[in-house]
Amino acid sequence: MIIIAVVLVVVINLGLIAALLRFRERRGRAPARYTAGRGAIGRIGVVLGVVAAAIFVFGVIQTDSARTVADSGPNGLTAEASRTAQVGVKGVPSLDEVAAEQEALSQEPAGGSAVVIPEEGDPLQISAIAQQWVWRFEYPGGVPGQRTFSYGRLVVPVDTAVVVNITSTDVIHSWWVPALTGQVQAVPGTVARTWFKADEEGTYTGQGTVFNGTSFPAMTIQVEVVDSATYQDHVETLGDDLREAQETVKEESATAQSGGSGEEGAP
Amino acid sequence: MTPPTTATEARPELVTRDAQAPRGPEWVTRVRSADHKTVALIYIAASLSLLVMALVQFTLMRVQLIVPDSTIIEPEIFARILSASGVTFAVLFAVPLALGVIGYIVPLQIGARGVALPRLNQLSAWLYIAGAVVLYVSFVYTPGQGGILGLPPLSETAFNPDKGMDNWIIGVLLTTAGFVCFAINLIVTMRNMRAPGLAWRRMPLFSWAAAVIGWVILVVGPALIAALAMLTIDRHFDGVFFDAAEGGAPLLYEHLVYFFMSGVYAVVVLFAAGVVSEILPTMARKPIFSHRAVAGSLVAIGALVPLAWMQNMYSAPIDLGFTIGTMFVALALVVPIGILVYVWIATLWGGAIRTRTPLFYAAAAFSTIVFGLTGELAYSVIPVGWQLANTTMSQGDTLYVLIGGAVIGGFGALHYWLPKMTGRALGEGVANFALLGMLVGLHIHVLCMAFAGLEGQPVDIFKYPADTGLSTLNLIASIGAFVFVVSAFVELGNIAHGYRHGRLVGHDPWGGTTLEWFALSPPPPHNFDAVPDVRSAEPLLDIRASVRRSTDGATARVS
Repeated sequence: MIIIAVVLVVVINLGLIAALLRFRERRGRAPARYTAGRGAIGRIGVVLGVVAAAIFVFGVIQTDSARTVADSGPNGLTAEASRTAQVGVKGVPSLDEVAAEQEALSQEPAGGSAVVIPEEGDPLQISAIAQQWVWRFEYPGGVPGQRTFSYGRLVVPVDTAVVVNITSTDVIHSWWVPALTGQVQAVPGTVARTWFKADEEGTYTGQGTVFNGTSFPAMTIQVEVVDSATYQDHVETLGDDLREAQETVKEESATAQSGGSGEEGAP
Repeated sequence: MTPPTTATEARPELVTRDAQAPRGPEWVTRVRSADHKTVALIYIAASLSLLVMALVQFTLMRVQLIVPDSTIIEPEIFARILSASGVTFAVLFAVPLALGVIGYIVPLQIGARGVALPRLNQLSAWLYIAGAVVLYVSFVYTPGQGGILGLPPLSETAFNPDKGMDNWIIGVLLTTAGFVCFAINLIVTMRNMRAPGLAWRRMPLFSWAAAVIGWVILVVGPALIAALAMLTIDRHFDGVFFDAAEGGAPLLYEHLVYFFMSGVYAVVVLFAAGVVSEILPTMARKPIFSHRAVAGSLVAIGALVPLAWMQNMYSAPIDLGFTIGTMFVALALVVPIGILVYVWIATLWGGAIRTRTPLFYAAAAFSTIVFGLTGELAYSVIPVGWQLANTTMSQGDTLYVLIGGAVIGGFGALHYWLPKMTGRALGEGVANFALLGMLVGLHIHVLCMAFAGLEGQPVDIFKYPADTGLSTLNLIASIGAFVFVVSAFVELGNIAHGYRHGRLVGHDPWGGTTLEWFALSPPPPHNFDAVPDVRSAEPLLDIRASVRRSTDGATARVS
């Protein structure tokens, strides 16, 4: 598209310059009053309409193919390749299904320790929650609010289709990792979705494109693509660390309450 | 009923006998005047002052981005400058300059002795100035930091508790209300006060563009007024219009503000198209190639551009059907814009082109807008928009259109019509030099920022990290921006100087063919002593021919 645009710009500007140079005022030349070529306007309009329609069809096809989530590849994180398949997820759920699933999960007892492995070919579902000025990434499995999460840095397996469910808790933000996905606005109260499948391991960086306050440029995204075994280890470690930290906090607060009850005056 | 014996400035066409001479100092007369020419000059002067503001803000933001990880300007200060800069350029400069030129020239072009609703016209100018003052008063304490568009929830009290945000909201609201008043007067005037015989098929193309601009503003203006009113209710009267937690919709504001901004974009494009369609035929001494095709294209642009507002929102969570419909509307614009380009080049083709400054400015505006619009053509394809919207690349194309249309096209309009407003021509040598500087600076800036956008630089940032390869591009882009700003200041100085001290050039320096050149320069309060019958799209050619016939060739050249 950009090449078409550049060609159009060059052609039109050359035409303008040619007209300006060729028909400068010279002694003894009267301006022509001819109107030949006026009939061509209609034909030009038709041609332009056909060109626009062609670009439109091309754009719709491209949009459709860009939105269709691809299957995960053989090296990706799928039930067959995994070592410890605990929970399977089938297909790309609709937003209603996601809500229903979350509802169902919230009825179950807390069990965020499992590393969720999608069934063969299915995408990995990640939640990306924006707030001023950091991204929170939640890995699948467990009750919402008790999931394994990380801030700022997302680790995903290579050759795996990853669906990112994007929302915001405060102002409008925007997700953009140029090498992996297009832009998606994180609007409070809505869930938007994008997907990517990284073919190569490495770290991909991105940042928002919608102004979200004073520290706008500081809100970056790091997507680290690793092989699926490393991914599982990482998520397990992350979950264990989080649980450990939460238990420590609980113990400390319990000690603080029992020890400090006299100061606070109430049991 | 006895006819009134005292002419008022609001109704100069009634009677000019026994008119009372205005009393008091000149500025008091001007401020009180409801004459459309005085009101229009107020519009033009205020908009050019705000252009100075916008250029200063642009310079400050480019100074900040010269080096990576820059700490020259505090992030809060940058956010304030940023939030003011967008509305200063688009709403407080670009649209009012277009309205100022329209308010002066269109009544003359249609052979009217005034406007239909002069007091409403006067109110519109003062609402606009009140809006600008309200916005800039906040710089005394704490300006708003809501970003260029003031998108909620960021502009809600939870994230922007300062009073300055209210100044921003009320200032833009007042200004927009002024535009709507102007549009009402413009539409009524053009429907009712045309000279006898001036059918729409004979209407000068600048007036055609003005008529379309009037309708566009009348449609998009109330949308922004509604959005800002809702935002004010949210901030101060416990409203929940844009509070998602209470069932509100932050996207609603985004829709409304982009609808308005698309309208602003359309106004700038239509204004520049009208100016180019006036200047090219006059300077090429050839009638416009096809009056009907240009008028139709102007109407199509005015109708389609605001409808394509969601082109800016491809990344927002909207159903795909809406964005695909938007892509259809945006691509349909190829037809009217392509026809305009063809007609303009065909108008120059075969002419005897006088290479004067207005022509250079018109051609430069034409060329620059083509750069921007073809870029927009690329971004209107949805996957391209997903990647490149809100980057410095797409921002560059918006700059091409807004600067090409409002700054270069606006300066071109002033070069062409200031002799009508003052009887004096602007200096041409300085202006050509300034135009060259503006074009070079603008292209350097936008091309560098386009490559930076492809590298992933988003808009509105106050710093970028050093290791991303953006440093050189931003440095060169800043230099280009400074060249542009300096050249624009030179041209502004040229206009200020030429307004009072320009060379006297008489009533019709360009040999124009439309009715404004039939009036004196500057025109008297009642514009025309006698309004001629219009028999063609080029009434002055008929008048000159008739003068030749009646004087039997004694004054062969009346021009």
